[in-house]
Amino acid sequence: MRTVTEINDKINRRCAVVWTVEELKARVLTAGVTRIAKEVDVITTGTFEPMESSGAIINLGQTDPPIKIRRCWLDGIPAYAGFGAVDLYLGATGAVEALDGEEGRERGGGHVIEDLIANKPVQLRAIGQVTDCYPRPSFETIITRETINQFYLFNPRNLYQNFIVGVNGGDRPLFTYLGPLQPRLGNAVYSNPGAISPLLNDPDLQLLGVGTRIFLGGGIGYVAWEGTQHFPLQKRLPNRTPVGPAATLALIGDAKQMNPRWVRGCYFKSYGPSLMLGVGVAMPVLHEEVIARCAVQDQDLVAPVVDFSIPRRVRPTFGLVSYAQLKSGRIAIDGKSVRVAPLASLFLSRQVALELKQWIEAGTFTLTEPVAPIPMDRSFLPQDRWGAQMTLD
Amino acid sequence: MPVTYRLAKDFNVAANIIRAAVAPNQIGKLVLELAGDIDQLDAAIDWMRSQNIGVSLALGEILIDEDTCVHCGLCTGVCPTEALTLNPETLRLTFTRSRCIVCEQCIPTCPVQAISTNL
Repeated sequence: MRTVTEINDKINRRCAVVWTVEELKARVLTAGVTRIAKEVDVITTGTFEPMESSGAIINLGQTDPPIKIRRCWLDGIPAYAGFGAVDLYLGATGAVEALDGEEGRERGGGHVIEDLIANKPVQLRAIGQVTDCYPRPSFETIITRETINQFYLFNPRNLYQNFIVGVNGGDRPLFTYLGPLQPRLGNAVYSNPGAISPLLNDPDLQLLGVGTRIFLGGGIGYVAWEGTQHFPLQKRLPNRTPVGPAATLALIGDAKQMNPRWVRGCYFKSYGPSLMLGVGVAMPVLHEEVIARCAVQDQDLVAPVVDFSIPRRVRPTFGLVSYAQLKSGRIAIDGKSVRVAPLASLFLSRQVALELKQWIEAGTFTLTEPVAPIPMDRSFLPQDRWGAQMTLD
Repeated sequence: MPVTYRLAKDFNVAANIIRAAVAPNQIGKLVLELAGDIDQLDAAIDWMRSQNIGVSLALGEILIDEDTCVHCGLCTGVCPTEALTLNPETLRLTFTRSRCIVCEQCIPTCPVQAISTNL
């Protein structure tokens, strides 16, 4: 029907037809898949949600005399330094190392990444290993994104294809990566934005792969690899969407181009810091099936309701609920009506898709053919004594 | 006069001192958050007035920093009165102040620390 090259030609001539996935879903309902497939060239999707398996690679540029950094803190948050002499990796969930008697502040690596992107100054303290090549034992300075060489996000696990719904069936409040869960099924939290989420609109990852250009944190990024815990063999519905956490992607992108509107440090009470990130994926309409997949609605997507009161790897579930139920604000569990809140920002997810649409319409973002496919046959290997494979049924 | 001691001992009212400016031989000012049985709160306030203590009331209010909020909606799940909701059309956080009972459960829930009280 169309090739990526033909679509890019239209983008460069500013005549590509670009719709957000929400516009597409609405129009398919009235006009049908075949007619719509002839009309639209590109569909944009977006999400804005906490993605804690994220972090930044930073290169400082050598000091004189030079230093081989072995331990390093950015605004008091430890950064990994076990590689090149002045290369650092600052993880999103790294927390402030509180001094004796000091209360741990609600601040972590995600906040420092946001501050650097916002061009705010960040204090750096480093301890080196003295060698003949690198005689300097320690170093302290203030850095900004303008005074460091490379500063790019390299996120091992982003863009989860579906996730879970958290509840607490126990009798004490729990503080989780989904926020506070109140006892006796007091509330429920879901974290995937459902039908607008990028990978639920391309369930078999046919339209993207290694090298695919994306919107990452307000700048341009790329799919680097399959993500950690990538589990494409998750059980799937007839529409090919998974019934729980499935595919993930590792993403990379220049943080110096990013915008703090789309990269936000966050903190979950009594759990720790994290990073909220806006990610957008543009789908080329290569054939009718692309439209059929992107037409999926919230009532056709499900997630498992998981009880966090049992702190085990495989927690008991209360069955599956649809995203249409979740977005109604209430779900029924064991006959009880439970309030549900999202954790992904549906508002900012929509804004990501709109912004990406504007980039494509303006000709500043073109599509890419994947360099290599994302493997779709990875099973999930837990670290159990028995070494058993998990099948997440 | 040990005001907060009397409030606790005579009225079983807990007084959380939010601000205090008290100096010898001057009129002092205390900002207190009072918690207790509603009748005993009234009695405690009447007693303070009878002691020539000027009492003015300020109700706590929830404040939402629009520039910080990311409209994730996590707070809507813990709000017992549904004062905090997501607008189904715009998907933005909506705060209906008249429904808010200032239980403050939303404050620690907010992952970007956009919610506070005026006290």
